[in-house]
Amino acid sequence: MSRRPWRLIAALVITAAATACTAGNQSPADSGPKAEAPQTIEVWHGWSASHEVKAFEDAIAGFHRLHPNITVKLVKGQDDTKILNAIRSGNPPDVVSSFSTNNVGQFCSSGALQDLTPYLKKDKVDMAMFPKAVQDYTQYKGDRCTMPLLADDYALYTNKALMKGNQPPKTISELTALAKKLTVRGADGTIKVAGFLPSVTYYEHVPEHLATTSFGGQYLNAQGRANFATDPAFTKYLQWEKSLIDWYGYDNVKKFVHSMGQEFEASNPFEKGKVAMAIDGEWRTKFMEDEAPKVQYDTTPTPVDDARQNTYGGGFVTGTIIGIPRGAKHAQASWEFVKYLTTDTDALVTFANGLGNVPSTIPALASPNLKLPAQFKTFLDVFKNPNSTTIPSTINGGDFVVKFQSFVQDQWEPGKVPDLQKGLQGLDKKVNDSLQLAGG
Amino acid sequence: MAAALPVRSVTASRARRRHRLRVLAFMSPWLIGFALFFAYPLAATVYFSFYRYNLFQLTPIGLTNYRFLFKDPYAWQAIKNTLWLVVVMVPLRVLFGLGLAQLLSKIKRGGSILRSIFYLPFLIPPVAATVAFVFVVNPGTGPINGLAAKIGIHLPDWFNDPTWTKPGLTLLALWGIGDVMIILLASLLDVPKSLYEAAAIDGANAWQQFRRITLPTISPVLMFSAVTGVIQTLQYFTQAMVAANASQGNADQAGTTTAPGYPDGASLTFPQTLYNEGFQQFNMGYACVLALVLFVVAMFFTLVLLRQFHAFGDDD
Amino acid sequence: MAGTTVATPRIPARRAPAPRGSRGRNRRFLYWVATHAIAIALALMFLAPLIFMFLTAVMSGNETLSGGLWPRSWHWGNFGTALTTDNGVMLHWLLNTLIYAVLATVFMLVSSIPVAYALARFRFRGRKLAFVLVITTMMLPPQVTIVPMYIMWARFHLTGTLWPLIIPMLFGDAFSIFLLRQFLMTIPKEYADAARVDGCGELRTMLRVILPMARPAIAAVALFQFFYAWNDYFGPLIYTKPESWTLAVGLSTFRAAHHVEWNLTMAATLLTVLPVIIVFFLAQRVFIQGVTLTGVKG
Repeated sequence: MSRRPWRLIAALVITAAATACTAGNQSPADSGPKAEAPQTIEVWHGWSASHEVKAFEDAIAGFHRLHPNITVKLVKGQDDTKILNAIRSGNPPDVVSSFSTNNVGQFCSSGALQDLTPYLKKDKVDMAMFPKAVQDYTQYKGDRCTMPLLADDYALYTNKALMKGNQPPKTISELTALAKKLTVRGADGTIKVAGFLPSVTYYEHVPEHLATTSFGGQYLNAQGRANFATDPAFTKYLQWEKSLIDWYGYDNVKKFVHSMGQEFEASNPFEKGKVAMAIDGEWRTKFMEDEAPKVQYDTTPTPVDDARQNTYGGGFVTGTIIGIPRGAKHAQASWEFVKYLTTDTDALVTFANGLGNVPSTIPALASPNLKLPAQFKTFLDVFKNPNSTTIPSTINGGDFVVKFQSFVQDQWEPGKVPDLQKGLQGLDKKVNDSLQLAGG
Repeated sequence: MAAALPVRSVTASRARRRHRLRVLAFMSPWLIGFALFFAYPLAATVYFSFYRYNLFQLTPIGLTNYRFLFKDPYAWQAIKNTLWLVVVMVPLRVLFGLGLAQLLSKIKRGGSILRSIFYLPFLIPPVAATVAFVFVVNPGTGPINGLAAKIGIHLPDWFNDPTWTKPGLTLLALWGIGDVMIILLASLLDVPKSLYEAAAIDGANAWQQFRRITLPTISPVLMFSAVTGVIQTLQYFTQAMVAANASQGNADQAGTTTAPGYPDGASLTFPQTLYNEGFQQFNMGYACVLALVLFVVAMFFTLVLLRQFHAFGDDD
Repeated sequence: MAGTTVATPRIPARRAPAPRGSRGRNRRFLYWVATHAIAIALALMFLAPLIFMFLTAVMSGNETLSGGLWPRSWHWGNFGTALTTDNGVMLHWLLNTLIYAVLATVFMLVSSIPVAYALARFRFRGRKLAFVLVITTMMLPPQVTIVPMYIMWARFHLTGTLWPLIIPMLFGDAFSIFLLRQFLMTIPKEYADAARVDGCGELRTMLRVILPMARPAIAAVALFQFFYAWNDYFGPLIYTKPESWTLAVGLSTFRAAHHVEWNLTMAATLLTVLPVIIVFFLAQRVFIQGVTLTGVKG
């Protein structure tokens, strides 16, 4: 072959490299059409049940009156992976919202979601309207790239009929005793009705809802490194968890978990009366109303370790977040939408009523228009309780949660960890290595 | 083409140039494609491997990505799983393919129908085949495990049990044996009949005929199947990923992320690790390191293949 | 190199010298019964998952959970439900899949045939190297270059669409080039020479003389490309967003979205498989010929 093609190839490679390095840099904060211009914004959210979708539509009715020029296109059922992919594609929706605060660190530090500070300053939004914990989980190291859109917290649901007159437990030892007492088994030991399933594979019994709230475990130390082996709370939690699983028999628990229905449908085992006690989010009250109106139940704060009874009343707090992706084409209108939805008391109250969620501003929490079932009061109290905890933000999102969950689920529960301390040290190392890789 | 004709050198050089241009014209799609979609990305992979890159910020970090490779539990798990598949699944596929081909070569009537039946599962879209397979062998409601239970055989909980996940994937791969089988069948039918006839006259039994005649004749094709099998295993992705997702089922809620390779990393393959790091975690620099590892290993086996077949090339 | 295997495997009437006497005949008969019995048993096992898939697809939702094998009542409506669920999202996936598969196939043919022709017919310096590189790119896992490719397409704002999967097909597909080249090598040179004597240019020689002879190989690569795109999971998983999902990606999420509704999941799966089965039985010869072409003898 003559030399010419190689020159051609070289030229092409250089062109490709050059275009790859210069093309497409992203828009600054105030690009795109003005908020007053007629336009359509696309909003991605994670809700999917029909009452949830309707609640969102109701909540933004006021926005349409306020900004008749902006048409809002809601896209349901989105999650963080889809959101991140869309942003990276350079073709993101105008507003995204996520159920999980896990990735706030990643969203903010990578610039995937725009820093909202300039907008907040311009419109003089007073951040003091949000409770402290809520302010925390929506930012990362001072970069506020998300706003809180309603909050969630967790407490213990008890099925009145299955409780057989027993009072809801307040401590872990009470919970354990009741769990055993209320369990109904088949002749072969299989679980017909579970008192309380401690396995992390049971929907909301993930470690962060128990290990931190009830046992007081701190995921990260002051240096932002994993703390699983050094904080004895995790060992205590794991030993309790495992001993109760062993009481049921690991295989029985596994079988029960595999056969239970779907979390967000009427087949949910608590709604079906297959478990007597379960930790769950405040939104379950709404699901109970819609899907299992006949089931009598109570809610009380999550039971705590016997040694930490002074912290009773708190719970795990998190929330839905909402932000504007980098590269959004209607950033101005998007901000108007985000501002309205996260700060307008009426919108929040309507939305909270529709979803059975906790409103995320102090004025909305105090609103007389909040119409929620009696069981909901527990969640409002937990939300305000100073002992409530949330999850720390890291640069690689919920990686430490994922790794801890997989350690508990795949190693610890099946009994593959002979030396717990060693196992947790290994876990710490893995978490720290990944943090380091991501630049944390 | 370039038959040496006694022509004047000017004409000759013009003809040569014409020929070059023609070659260039015909080859140009590939030349451009090779540069744009292979050479450039490969070079870029090396470049990005020295950076921390999440598609937003590019930070040079020297060898940090390479160092992490040795600490990455997922990568090592994936390497172990890949080795398992190379050692167990690849030979089983070749042997099973050979067995089926041998069987088919013995059947006269109805052979083509059987051949189609054995070939068919290979064509089923892998996602569909995997979803269906996970369902039919799932222990709770799957018909195959259910049927086996009725006759007293308790099959394992294939895709929920770390011990049985890879055997389950192997079964799935044996179901889709079509490609290996057809190639081996073609080569079996290519063995000259006269050789068998001569051997039969010498009184060689079936095994001896197979051992002495069939095997030596088809061994290059067996080798081809084995090496391409290894290369395919290096890029094994769809089935493992879909089987994990389909069997995991209820852990698929919005907002929650789970560790890759359900259950307990048993289905984690190397490309999956790459996908997870590059496109879930967006550690794109580190994903490039994984890509380079994959490149080196795959290149090694490609060279084995090229050597064996002398680059498939005749430069007569 | 050695010859390539182009022949369709035909079941040969191989006849070993018949052993004499009834003992021999008995043994041959037993052998015949044994091979056929094994083959039929294996064939049933190969079909079993497909049969169960179908039976489950027509069951009621509750029945799929009871572990029954035969549907108590036949719910043909499940196929319609699978197609129309979520506002007919499956039809949307089907459309995306067709766009991807058809465009990729057409583009691949346009770009790969000339390259294969050049590699098979022209003599030029670097030909061997080019062919070796074609094989190398064919063999290397697509994941090797995926990260920079993704970054490149993201810069062009084409991620989230199917274009990153379609556009490269305009620049030749290694596997198709390889396969076509192998076939073109088997066409005797004399045909092309005759055409050239008749005054045909190289392009016309290719289009008028060689390509019609290479029709089986072209059909084979076209089918392979079509099915590759139809089945592709990795590519669309990386590049597409829900609006541009193909059947493969969509189907993988179907189970999570419909959880225990195995009947719907199986109906959707079957609907994805069906076109493949139909095309296979229509174009069986082409397929098997094509696969055989890839298995090169040493």
